[in-house]
Amino acid sequence: MITKKINKKNLAMSIFVGFFIIFFLTFYIWHQAESVSIGYKTKDLEEKIERLRGDIEQLETDKASLLSLDKVEQIAKQELRMVVPSEKQLIFEKSDEDLRQQN
Amino acid sequence: MKNSQRRRTKRRIIILVAFSIVWLGALVLRLVQLQVINAKQYRSRVLDQTQNIIDVNPKRGTIFDRNGTILARSMPSPSVYFRSSQGETISSQLDKIKKIAAICGLSEWELRNIQSQIEKKSPYIYINRRKIDPDKADLIMDLKLNGIFLENENKRFYPQGKLASHLIGKVDVDDSGQSGVELRYNSVLLGYKGKRLIHKDAKRRDYQHEIIEQPIPGKDLILTIDETIQYIAEKELAKAVTTRSADWGIVIVSHPGTGEILALANYPDFDLNHPPSKTEEWSKIKAIHDVFDPGSTFKIITASAALESGRVSFSDVFDCSKDLKRGGKTFRDHEEFETLAFPDVIIHSSNIGTIQIGEQVGEQNLYDMIRTYGYGKKTGVDLPAEAPGLLNPIKDWGPISVASISIGYEISVTAIQMLQAINVIANRGIATRPMIVKNIVLNREKNQKQPSEYRRVITEDIASQLIDVFQQVTEVGTGTAAHIEGYSTAGKTGTAQKFDHDIGTYSSSKHTALFVGFAPVEAPLFSMVVVIDNPQGQYYGGQVAAPVFREIGRQIFRYLRIPPQPVRPKTFITAENRRTQEQ
Repeated sequence: MITKKINKKNLAMSIFVGFFIIFFLTFYIWHQAESVSIGYKTKDLEEKIERLRGDIEQLETDKASLLSLDKVEQIAKQELRMVVPSEKQLIFEKSDEDLRQQN
Repeated sequence: MKNSQRRRTKRRIIILVAFSIVWLGALVLRLVQLQVINAKQYRSRVLDQTQNIIDVNPKRGTIFDRNGTILARSMPSPSVYFRSSQGETISSQLDKIKKIAAICGLSEWELRNIQSQIEKKSPYIYINRRKIDPDKADLIMDLKLNGIFLENENKRFYPQGKLASHLIGKVDVDDSGQSGVELRYNSVLLGYKGKRLIHKDAKRRDYQHEIIEQPIPGKDLILTIDETIQYIAEKELAKAVTTRSADWGIVIVSHPGTGEILALANYPDFDLNHPPSKTEEWSKIKAIHDVFDPGSTFKIITASAALESGRVSFSDVFDCSKDLKRGGKTFRDHEEFETLAFPDVIIHSSNIGTIQIGEQVGEQNLYDMIRTYGYGKKTGVDLPAEAPGLLNPIKDWGPISVASISIGYEISVTAIQMLQAINVIANRGIATRPMIVKNIVLNREKNQKQPSEYRRVITEDIASQLIDVFQQVTEVGTGTAAHIEGYSTAGKTGTAQKFDHDIGTYSSSKHTALFVGFAPVEAPLFSMVVVIDNPQGQYYGGQVAAPVFREIGRQIFRYLRIPPQPVRPKTFITAENRRTQEQ
């Protein structure tokens, strides 16, 4: 049987190339997996942002509803027993702008 | 033996090959049938089984007032729908519906309707209460029933409830505008639909949703309305209509310089979140749709025509002591007068004096001035279904038309036209187009709307003279109830008899009380129209509509933090002139 003597240099090169290919493929697969994973996270975060935007809009609308003038007047009159001041009870304060113009 | 065995083997091979060829041939033919002949049919069946493309509704734009207060906004509100699995029995499908019926609050009729849809094998059945409360949607999904799904939709919500209900208008279940601003700006608010791809498993259950075409949300609107002024106007109008037992009322408040409408109130009103079932109760904006005789408020036009044509001057006097007979009809005043100068005719709202002025002006000049003021045509306000009013062409005028039209009869106008007319006086002769939308906004970037249109109607001098006259109306004339203490006001009262269609003439018991005015006179901040229809008891515009102007105006000044000007004596009181006065 004839056996061919393997060149040590070639063997080292082959092992290096083999390792390099394995490393490259591993890196590629890891990169792909990581990209997909980041994609999912981004999508989740985008959905979360959308939900939070929705929550903000809901809170803004609730605030607008709670501060609607008829509700405020109702609470002021019925619960806090407040009354509308007469003209003689009103004092108009000059604004900073007015005072600046006066000086 | 060996040869016979070989032949047998050969025969078997031939049979096997022949069988294989036949089998393969049949297979190929079947494949051709499936892949070529019936390809379209099977492809559509496969797609139907594995995926579905549905429309994604865009989010409707929000409506704000001029200060950014939310008047209408679409909020997430899911719709529940049902899709049966393959081979599922009707009774099993109905059981699922019955399980969620209580949460959805389905009636017997609605259940029967769903049952009939199931029997018809509808692929996609909305549970009838479209757009339910998100909490209820969570309860339904907690039941984890196969075939019950939620579709993310939006429902219009009006946080201010009744505020500006007719003006804002309502939308239908598909978020499409039905009246008011919602209808007029529907295409702007609506946005564009997107598309969603739904992947399904073998049992036709959804397992993945994918947006393949993003929906484009609608643009937001910023109205010229001021929430606080609108609230004040509605409150005072409701008070006036109920205390006077009137049929209905209108108030419009605007900024004369720009034509921006600050408040537009109709009473009776309604809650936008729970609109009434009768269409006529929510669909019409009376302020721009309903027409009525303007009565004495129309003397603004007669006075303008008189001065602008030069046929009448300020110093002219008119005998107002006797009733006027024209074409068999007798015209009277609301009180007895003697001889009145031109300004006093207007200040005291004498019909007899105004008819004489109108006759001196002549029908052509009067008609031209009416048209120049914008009567008989739409003002162009950006709201739906505006009426142009009714103004007959001169050829159709009868023998008493000049007399009638001079005092505001034989002509029908809308409240918005009256507002435009008083704005001409307030702006020293310049007309502005009334407007309701200030800006259209997309992604917080404002698209400035076209600025208001301006056109001169009467000269500045004549307008200034008329302002003095209309100021006197609120100080010593028929409109003293409109005067706001500490502020200068100008305006004109009106009381119109209503036309009774049953008897074919004007009713002596049904009236429309009117007031148009503005304040402060020097630099008008607001102009206003008040219309109270068919008040009981007192019915004169000066008694019924003018106080509404005063109350709203007083509160607007307070809201705008404009203090009253103290009334100063015209001369300084010194010891000397006091002594003179005492002597």
